[in-house]
Amino acid sequence: MKLAILSESPADEAAIERLVGAVLREPLVRVQSALRARGWPSVAQVLPAVIRHLHFETNADGLVVVVDSDDSVVHTAEHDRPNYFHPLCRMCRLRAVFRQTTKKLPPARGRARVLRAVGVAVPAVEAWYLSGRPADADVSEKAWIDGQSRGHLPYTRAQLKFRVYGTDRPSLVHETNCALREIARFLPDTRRLENDFPGFASLATDLRGWGQPYDEDGRVE
Amino acid sequence: MIASIAFRNFKALRQASVELCPFNLVVGPNGSGKSSLIEAFVRLRTLARMSLAGEGNEPIRSANAPEVSFRFMPPYDRWEAVMSCASDDKCDVLNVFPLSNGEGEGTWEALRGKLLRIRRFELDHAAIARPASRKENQELKPDGGNLAALLLRWRDQLPDVFSAWATQALRVFPEYDDIQIYDVAESDVAFSLRITGERTRVPAHDLSQGTLYALVVFALAADPEPPSVVCIEELERGLHPRILREVQDAMYSLSHPSSHGLSREPVQVLATSHSPYFLDLFRDHIEEIILTEKLGSAAHFKKLTERKDLGELLEGASLGDLWYTGIFGGVPTCDLGGTVSFGERS
Ligand SMILES: [Zn+2]
Repeated sequence: MKLAILSESPADEAAIERLVGAVLREPLVRVQSALRARGWPSVAQVLPAVIRHLHFETNADGLVVVVDSDDSVVHTAEHDRPNYFHPLCRMCRLRAVFRQTTKKLPPARGRARVLRAVGVAVPAVEAWYLSGRPADADVSEKAWIDGQSRGHLPYTRAQLKFRVYGTDRPSLVHETNCALREIARFLPDTRRLENDFPGFASLATDLRGWGQPYDEDGRVE
Repeated sequence: MIASIAFRNFKALRQASVELCPFNLVVGPNGSGKSSLIEAFVRLRTLARMSLAGEGNEPIRSANAPEVSFRFMPPYDRWEAVMSCASDDKCDVLNVFPLSNGEGEGTWEALRGKLLRIRRFELDHAAIARPASRKENQELKPDGGNLAALLLRWRDQLPDVFSAWATQALRVFPEYDDIQIYDVAESDVAFSLRITGERTRVPAHDLSQGTLYALVVFALAADPEPPSVVCIEELERGLHPRILREVQDAMYSLSHPSSHGLSREPVQVLATSHSPYFLDLFRDHIEEIILTEKLGSAAHFKKLTERKDLGELLEGASLGDLWYTGIFGGVPTCDLGGTVSFGERS
């Protein structure tokens, strides 16, 4: 599978590449390595250009995009209803950008479109890294959503970062090493991470659907 | 080390004060007080060399004479240093007052020793690239001009320090895989980088400005005996935006050494920048951003922490883009006359 990854930092990118490999269970070829966006909302802003570029200028089969949710509305099963779109949900927004951009492009390089895999880490990718650590059993997407609805968040993004990196100012090298150390837990089996983080499960579902045709809305038919 | 600084009639800083963090990123238009802030630090160091007021003949100053007061972080929070000036260009008296609310045990003499180690860097790529006298190998010069001599001393006497510096430099610039320091004439040394996978060496004078600046910034961070305060202007100069994170890391290794696994004393950093990309990197530490702004002829400071709606604003744009729009202030304004009718103009 030939794919490109668009994420917010080189540390995220290194971890996401391995997670994608763990889901797909087949050899990956990175196309257009070192794509990067400057965090939200820059990801959504540059995404049409990135999709267009990959479509016409490369032989990429698909594009993996992973962003943090920060304090935005978290994507839920409700948002998956046909023709539904939540303007404050980053998953909905990124999927919409994919849909609108790919719809306009004629087939190129022997394929109809660049396939989509979108993941949203709630509230930040560090929460994924903590999944399955006994001392961090309180960290999950559900815990965050419950906290949002109660008006009392269970932890802050800064706290999650501190738990992963042991400091609030990690160097890029340290950040990358910690990310790779933590995701090593999921490489044999990603089910726990998918269970705790539907924002990762969506990414995994998109990836597993890459062998199958997509409908107009980017869903697996 | 310096907790806050307050200005009165010092250049454009008529009545301005700001609280400082271990790391501070100062952004704002030219002439808005960024350099004056750094200049005040440097003058404090100069005056700390001399005897205090009251120990000699103290000049009599008018009530409106320029004055800059400094307060300090623990253990020096017992002291306030007030620098008074005859004019913007002549600050010649330093008074030190004990504060009743300070609890730290640090003595004035110990604090004075720290103040003497304040350093300002104005890097000059041509100076960095020129051969350096091998004798000038103790402390990095303000223009970075003795980098080769410093590296030679580290390589020969502090191999661990040299190796840490070289590892970082070659990781950030993977197009090179080795550094060589070599003799030029009898007394001078220069350096070159080897192109990865080739035998070609690129002499310092053929390296890009940004590469030379980054090599000095990494040397500052690797220095086992760093200054107490590092003031550095236009930290992002010549650098590719993607390398800025490494520069931020290098600065944080000075200001927050324990975060980087280092056991040395923290170095306070005051850096200026004009780069929205660099600003983006401080999203998790907005308390470290100081905006300088000029309204009319008076400049003042603002902290981004004052913006309570920042979370909502960041949903729609990055920190750097928000700054660029001007909604935080701290951007140049030019009078195009568009909003002022002729009758109102003087
Ligand atoms: Zn949604």
